Amino acid sequence: MRKQVVDNSMRHNQKARFQKKTLLFLDYFVMILLAFFFLFPFWVMAVGSLKPEKLIFDDLKSVIWAFIPRDVNLENYAYIFNRIPFLTYFKNTIVIVLTTIVSGLFVNSMIAYALARLRWKGKKFIIGAILALTIVPLETIVVPLLMVSNKLPWFNGATSWLDSLHVQIIPFICDAFSIYLFYQSFIQIPKDYDEAAIMDGANPFVIFSRVIIPLARSTFVAVAIIQLIFLWSAYLWPLMVTRTEAFRPLTLGVTYLYNMDIRWGPILAYATLSNLPSVLLFIVFQKGFLRSIASGSVKG
Amino acid sequence: MNKRLALVIRFCVLTLFVASIAACSPAVTQAPEVTEAPVVTEAILPTDIVSAEAPIDVTLWFHGGSVGESDTLRAQVEDFNASQTKYRMTINEIPGGAAAGSGYNDAVNAAAVAGTLPDLLDFDGPFLFNYAWGGYLTPLDDLIPAELKADIFPSVLDSLKYDGKIYGIGQYDSGLALCGNKAILEEAGVRIPTSVEDAWTFAEFNEVLEKVKGVGGTEYSIDLKMNYGAGEWYSYGFTPVIWGNGGDLIDRSTYQTADGFINGEKTVAAVTWFKSLFDNGYATSTPPDDNEFVNGKAALGWCGHWMTTTYYDALKENFVLIPMPNFGERQATGNGTWVWGITKDSKNPEGAMAFIEFIMKPEEVLRTVTQNGAVPATFSATEQSDLFKKGGRLSIFGEQLARVDIATPRPITPGYPVITSAFYTALDNIIKGADIQTELDAAADKIDKDLQDNSFYPQK
Amino acid sequence: MKKQGYSQDNFFGWLMSSPALLLLTIFVIIPLVMGLGWSFTNKRLISPLPTEYIGLKNYDSILAIKLIPIDPILDENGKPQIDEKGNIQYFRVRDVIRANPKYQDFRLYTEFNAFGNHFGIIAKDPDFYRALINTTLYVLMIVPAIGIISLLLALLVNQRIWGVSIFRVLYFIPSITSISVTSVVWMFLYNPDQGLINQLLQKISFGAFGFSPWLQSADTALLAIILYTIWQASGLFMVIFLGGLQDIPEDTYEAAKIDGANPFQTLLYVVIPQLRNTIIYVVITSSILGFRLFTQVDVMTKGGPEGSTLTLMMHTVNEGFRNQKIGYASAISIVFFIFILILTFTQRKIFKSENVLE
Repeated sequence: MRKQVVDNSMRHNQKARFQKKTLLFLDYFVMILLAFFFLFPFWVMAVGSLKPEKLIFDDLKSVIWAFIPRDVNLENYAYIFNRIPFLTYFKNTIVIVLTTIVSGLFVNSMIAYALARLRWKGKKFIIGAILALTIVPLETIVVPLLMVSNKLPWFNGATSWLDSLHVQIIPFICDAFSIYLFYQSFIQIPKDYDEAAIMDGANPFVIFSRVIIPLARSTFVAVAIIQLIFLWSAYLWPLMVTRTEAFRPLTLGVTYLYNMDIRWGPILAYATLSNLPSVLLFIVFQKGFLRSIASGSVKG
Repeated sequence: MNKRLALVIRFCVLTLFVASIAACSPAVTQAPEVTEAPVVTEAILPTDIVSAEAPIDVTLWFHGGSVGESDTLRAQVEDFNASQTKYRMTINEIPGGAAAGSGYNDAVNAAAVAGTLPDLLDFDGPFLFNYAWGGYLTPLDDLIPAELKADIFPSVLDSLKYDGKIYGIGQYDSGLALCGNKAILEEAGVRIPTSVEDAWTFAEFNEVLEKVKGVGGTEYSIDLKMNYGAGEWYSYGFTPVIWGNGGDLIDRSTYQTADGFINGEKTVAAVTWFKSLFDNGYATSTPPDDNEFVNGKAALGWCGHWMTTTYYDALKENFVLIPMPNFGERQATGNGTWVWGITKDSKNPEGAMAFIEFIMKPEEVLRTVTQNGAVPATFSATEQSDLFKKGGRLSIFGEQLARVDIATPRPITPGYPVITSAFYTALDNIIKGADIQTELDAAADKIDKDLQDNSFYPQK
Repeated sequence: MKKQGYSQDNFFGWLMSSPALLLLTIFVIIPLVMGLGWSFTNKRLISPLPTEYIGLKNYDSILAIKLIPIDPILDENGKPQIDEKGNIQYFRVRDVIRANPKYQDFRLYTEFNAFGNHFGIIAKDPDFYRALINTTLYVLMIVPAIGIISLLLALLVNQRIWGVSIFRVLYFIPSITSISVTSVVWMFLYNPDQGLINQLLQKISFGAFGFSPWLQSADTALLAIILYTIWQASGLFMVIFLGGLQDIPEDTYEAAKIDGANPFQTLLYVVIPQLRNTIIYVVITSSILGFRLFTQVDVMTKGGPEGSTLTLMMHTVNEGFRNQKIGYASAISIVFFIFILILTFTQRKIFKSENVLE
């Protein structure tokens, strides 16, 4: 009798374990399938970029070979470096993205702090205005923005902002959406924190830098990454404001290749090269990044 | 209060710091702009004062697209800079191909708005009228030396005039014909025409398309270079089919309406035939890349001059250039190509013209056309050319251009950017399955709307 | 004391806002106001023709739309003509428009049969309505698609099983690449005859899945762009959902388990209500992104085929920059701006009112 119970429970356990295993197997199967969906373009891109032009499409037909490198050579990469000032583009993109993000974090978090935690005249109106501005797409104001940028003076005697790096940076430092994200985050920090600091005689600036910033670190990382994602894709604006190779970002280089005489080898090589840095950067810092976006962008 | 002041200062320092990151970041030094270029009229151009001074910077833009053309031009710029000390030309390749809505045209428009056009600019022939009308360009009549003017074919020069003034100079004119793979054509047993006089008739051309299909391992009959996508190629390459059938894109006598022309019976018939090429399996609308003809997927190629060198290198003695066939009423091909213009923003039109003079020398013209296969636009270069003299590999191009009843310019109007984009958009939709009449009607409406919006582009 | 605090706040409030306000004014507000001013003129990008004040004409040209009945063509007996397929022959809408001076400047948007009659919808700018409908359609599809897919992804990688953090990283990678570059790569994959996607689909379905034209056909192009966007953006939203999921206390799940809820019920009645704020955030953000759709369309289809992927952003840039009609394009921007303003505020209202109900 007793034995039977043990038997039963064992059988039950076995069954449960079996079910659990099947589920686990299924989970991994789905996860791997999804990983394939998200990654195959990169893999095919990288593999294709190492092949001679003629093989690229021939290999697509057999599907399997599209995923396997063969006749590996770096000619497509050599072509890129010979034809396109890739390193200049790359450097431009890095400078533009980093400067915009760093200054943006500073400027946007500060106003968000003022809006979220200080009591001052006019702030209600500004909050409303910023909420409305979060939905203004750049493309709708691009022509007047071009006119404005063209009229702005600059220090070193140039008469126009066009064709420079700063014209790709300064207009995008202040971003209503980032302000909104900061605002959301700051407003949730309990008031006691700054009240304690006020008691100590700290002014808002000190509270901001000593209390709020450390508490909202993950929001800063999250905003930085979200900005990175947008800035990394900048396309129409650089097309309009850059004239010379010295100031062009990476995103325009591909249109350089993607025109009349399409040669997929170099295009794929270019795509591989330009995706590599952000992917590497991300993989290296993935732990902190993901955690920060997860906890920093919105509270559940 | 004191504390507050300290704070304001700290704050200002921080702001300045951020601003300076932004300011210093263009570590790449901005090309020093010559703000006060010596304004000298052409008549009293002093040629000897400059040698000791720094060279004057002159800037040039040209459209990216062809690697070969880009290399040749870069070499020419280097040689120009080495050949004299007065000017230093800097070259800028702008990505994005020809057509309205392309990166190149976007960049030109943006620069025109901002008043930052370069000294020298290249553009596709029919855009000249729009750029001239919009005031992007400077008339060249007073800048061109008489001997250069006399050296350019009058037909080419005429096509570069707007409102009676010359706004562009080109080294060459374009050539559009058919390229054939001789071995495959012979295997299929078709007659290969050798001059414009014995071009294929329309019926014969249709037979040829049927006969060569599948011969010699090909997948279809003719490569139409659809990989270029909806853009200027559709207008440049395929309106000859419409002209050859007696249609047109716009009323050429008045340039006041497109209705009844781009959507007229003859145009519709021509486009219907063109669409049938895909439906009958004679052509593919989705080639993966630029190499279909070279890879032997088709026996024939619809062929702009810029492909001839690549094709010849790949096929060697099997390469043959075939004149455009009759498309119903007549043989037809296009003309007009990328030319140089000097812009309104140029502070050194003389420097820009010096470069034009340099590249218009017969040896430079030949250097360009030997690379890109275009037809030289000057008497002096043609005399020295092996490719284009009678019996030369590309002589068909010249023969076609010499016949005004064959070579037809694209519409000569400032409204051209809208005409071409309306047409290529319609054609693209049609190829992808849209109703022919509906699409061409829409194109007619779009063109007419633009003409009205711009008061029919009045001349000054 | 309190008074002083307030004035201090006043000072610091403005001080700390000033850099952002300055930048916003120069680079967003001034251009917006300029655009508003231009929208009442026929200003062109560059033209020798003078700019004129034209009142609300631009707005009329954008919005004017009419439904008109189309008569059948009658034969000599007064009966409608019928073609060989048995369909009644109607007059062409374009001819009807041209015959009636009232319809001057109108163009065909679409025609259809209803209630035994034939109708045409005509508009002064059919492309605007095309773009409006495409954009709305796109947002209506992409928002739930991204929302559901990224939530499922988040649930999948929120499990405590070995190696799961690797998968998180992998799914996120497309989000950090540049749209213009990966769009070009996807064009390569989408090629109808030789592209990998068609080849792959054909192989794994043993030929059952025919070749899809993807970007080349009006029926599939928008879907192709949506698929690309899902690939590109769901990783980002997955991570945002992950954040929301991790904020749900462990014992909530335990409690649900004890109550005998199956996983699906747990998801529906426990997880989703707890994720309210995250969901609101994802919905709002993804719809803003959806309305901004431009880069991938400009690279992949330029708005074609047959205007099937024309978005409001594309239409604005085409009209204002490429066709040089900035007065007109500014008016489109204003209409568009008002449109999303209303939409966003309704969205927020809906979420707020739900809040009240709880």
